Formats: sequence, C-alpha cells, structure tokens
Amino acid sequence: MRRVAVTGIGVISPLGSSAVELFANATAGHSAIRRIEETWCKRLVSPLAACVHFNGDEHFAAPKLRMLDRVSQFAIVAARQAIGDARLDIPNADRQRVGIFLGTGMGGSQTTDDGYQTLYAKQSNRIKPFTVLMGMANAPAAWIGIEYGVTGPNLTYSTACSSSAVSIGEAWMRIRTGDLDVAIAGGAEAPLSFGGLKAWEVLHTLATEDPSDASTSCKPFSKNRSGMVLGEGAAIVVLEDWERAIQRGAIIHGELIGYGIVTDASHIARPTVAGQAAAMRAALQVAACAPASIDNINAHGTGTQANDSVETAAIKQVFGEDAFRIPISATKAIHGHLLGASGALEFALSLLAMQHDVLLPTMHLDIAAADCDLDYVSNCARHNVKINTVMSNSFAFGGTNAVLVARSAAQRAGTA
Amino acid sequence: MTTLERLSKILVKNYKVDPERITLDGPLEELGIDSLGMAELLFFIEDEFKVQLPFDPVALPTLGDAVSYIDGLLAAQHGTETQTTADVTAPAPPRQPA
Repeated sequence: MRRVAVTGIGVISPLGSSAVELFANATAGHSAIRRIEETWCKRLVSPLAACVHFNGDEHFAAPKLRMLDRVSQFAIVAARQAIGDARLDIPNADRQRVGIFLGTGMGGSQTTDDGYQTLYAKQSNRIKPFTVLMGMANAPAAWIGIEYGVTGPNLTYSTACSSSAVSIGEAWMRIRTGDLDVAIAGGAEAPLSFGGLKAWEVLHTLATEDPSDASTSCKPFSKNRSGMVLGEGAAIVVLEDWERAIQRGAIIHGELIGYGIVTDASHIARPTVAGQAAAMRAALQVAACAPASIDNINAHGTGTQANDSVETAAIKQVFGEDAFRIPISATKAIHGHLLGASGALEFALSLLAMQHDVLLPTMHLDIAAADCDLDYVSNCARHNVKINTVMSNSFAFGGTNAVLVARSAAQRAGTA
Repeated sequence: MTTLERLSKILVKNYKVDPERITLDGPLEELGIDSLGMAELLFFIEDEFKVQLPFDPVALPTLGDAVSYIDGLLAAQHGTETQTTADVTAPAPPRQPA
C-alpha cells in the first residue's frame, strides 16, 4: 500500500477564506456565528448562522457565474486555493490518474429553493433554465473537473454530515491502492436559504439564541447546549502519493494514515455509541495506531443533546482511561455546522493544529454536561503542545460514521 | 430605444458585457453566452420585449440574428415596426436547429 500525503489545503469558511485566516480565528476562538437579518428571518425561531463573506463576481465571469449555485462557487474557489497551495501542475500530469472526490449534503439547495419560490410562491413558470444544472449534487465536483481538465473519476458523496470525511477517505483509498496518483477531495455546502434553515429548525436540531451574545449560541459538550448552528462554505485538500509528493519537493501538511467508515443501521437520526466507536476503531486499525497514540481528536461535537453525549461515550469506549487524557476540540462552536463540508473543514483544522502544535479550543463551554466529562480544551487554545497524530470525527443523519486519522509529516518525512 | 439598445442593456446588466464589445455581427458565444446560456437569454428577451417565444429553441449565433428575430416577433405579436436596422444591413433570418 502506498502512503498518502496532504499537499494542499483550500478553504472558504465562515472563519475566513484562506487556511491562514481560518486557523488564526479558530485558535483565537473568534466565533463567526451571527444573528442573520434577512426579511424572512422573522419566520425563524432562532435566525442564527455562520455565513461566509464571499462575492462571486470577484472569482467568475458573469455568464459563468449565472450557472453556478453558491455551493459550486465555494467548491471551485476552495479547489483553486488547494491546487495553488499544492503547486500542482495538473495540465502536465496524467490527468486520468487524478480524481475529484466531493462531499455535499444538500447540493445546490439554494437554486432549488429559488425554483420553488418562483413556481409555488410567485405562481410563475419562469424558473431558471439552469435549475437542474445548478441544483444537481454533483455540479460542484463537475465544475472543478472541467476547470482543471481532470479526467479521472469525478465522484460526489452525500452522506449528510459525514459527506466530506467520506469523500476524503474514499479518495485516500484510491491513492493508497495505486489506482490514482492525486485526488482533489473535500466538501462544499450552502444551505442558508429560508427553506434550508426552516427544514433544520423544524427538526429541533438548531440552537436557541444565547440572549447575552448570539455568537456564543453553539455550545458543544456544555450543560446548557441547545443545538447546532448551520454554516456554509467549502474545504478541499489535495491528496497525493507520498513518493510523488517527495519527488516534486511538495510541502506536506500531513500524512493521512487511516479512514474508518461504519454505519449505525439503526435509526435515521439518532446516533449510536456502538457505530461511532466502531468507526474510530476501524480508522485506528487501518492506521495501525494504538488508541493511546492519538494526541488530539477533532470531535463531531455539534452541540446537540444527542451527539455530544453519545460521542463522549463512544470516545471512552474506544480509548478507555486514555480518553480522559486526550484533548478534544469541537470547532463547530465557532464555524457552525457546514453539513457536507464539515468533515473536510475539520480535517483541515486538525492538520493545521498539528502543523502549528496548537490544541484548538472548544468555545462557549463554561460548565460541561454531567455525561460530557473529558478534556474538551474549553475556551482557550493550548500552544506548544506536540501533536503527532490526530483523529477527526464526522457522524451523520442516516448513520454513516466516518473517521480520519492523520500523522504529522515532520514525524515521518525522513522515514519513507 | 432601439431593439439593439434594449438587448444591449440586458447584456450589460446580466452578463456584465463591456458595451464596447457589442456589435451586430459579433457571435454571442464570444460574449460568454453559449447555446445553454441562450436558453436563459431568451427568458430575458421575453420579459423585456413582452413577446412570447416558441417552446422549441432557436439558434441565434449573433446579436444581429437576435435583433432581427425579436423584431420579427414584435411585428407578428404587437404589429410593431422594426426599429433597429436603419443603417445596417438586415442580418439573415435565424436558423432553426435541426
């Protein structure tokens, strides 16, 4: 089996539209969650979201922009960043040995929402002629492939909140086995339409607004947590055969060494300790890592009642006594839940934390819930902590649990 | 306002086309509007000129083709005299795709 390097990171996120900005804000614990002020917000109980500051005009010519849902815009720009960061020369590569692997939970949902507005609210038949092309879930991946002439597999994974951990894991498998040399992998999501927010609200998963400060409304593992806050954005990484990366002198952000995917197969929305624990174990096993060697876990940590208790119990089941020692970061407290883009964003944050020897904080955690009794790095980052191996958890409605394990490039760069 | 001017307004507003680049014989594709983009442009034309387009798509390779096509529709549906091509040779009628 080949080793797999991460050689590029690109992000369009509520915490910033570059890896540098994202990491600085995540370390400082700055929350991107805000009260949103659209006219339809009056019809939401808690009009909260983590929005991206993004102007498509700056990135696309107008005729092309008219064909791109917001989710595709995010994905393309994040991919450009990642490919630029990796200094990847795709035109001169064997483009059939490059693949695109993208996760998205809701695809071009804003286009769909706009179409419904036109058809049902305005009683007009004038929906955009591009509705299908903009709304289809594989549009973001397709556009990236078209932009770079990538002729290998172009695949879209939709497993709700674990979509982009799955896309990265599946891409990793293809490089590991030698089927591909390079993969552009990650996720994108743009769910902040009225329809999108309302649908999540009626599921009773969204946080109520903290009256003292709306930006602190998402409180993973906290006693007074009330739910998640939706976010938007994209995160893309470049995965590459380790030897290829070394030969071309690429800067390596980390080595992806494990991927576990296990499905609950029990309830459409209720997570299970067994399923989450099994996914973590599977990732550790493939990575050939002892549980005690994990230095930091980026938790799924949504801030919902169901997830945080179950995830804590699952971590205890896998790590035993070590669970109380391993620092856990739940960064959704400040960038929100990017659904299909979350796994990739948190994987990127895990790599950046490892590169900078920083344990990222779980913000808005004053009093932990009684059954959430681990070290969540509450409210303040820890610096100068050597991190050799990280785990990033992503769990999902539908029950697809996906876990990624990565190792510091510095640790093994000379041992290939 | 002539048909060309009204059409130009659509192109500048929705497709951010530089007005300098708008000529009657210029291919629309060079302005970034390919056959797929044309499907949307026809919507804007219907709205701007209050004309009803046939359901089947029409091929309008140049702006001149679009102008004469719109003028034809205006004449047929509103009895309006064409206003566009006073000092320009009328372009060939639009081709129907096979």
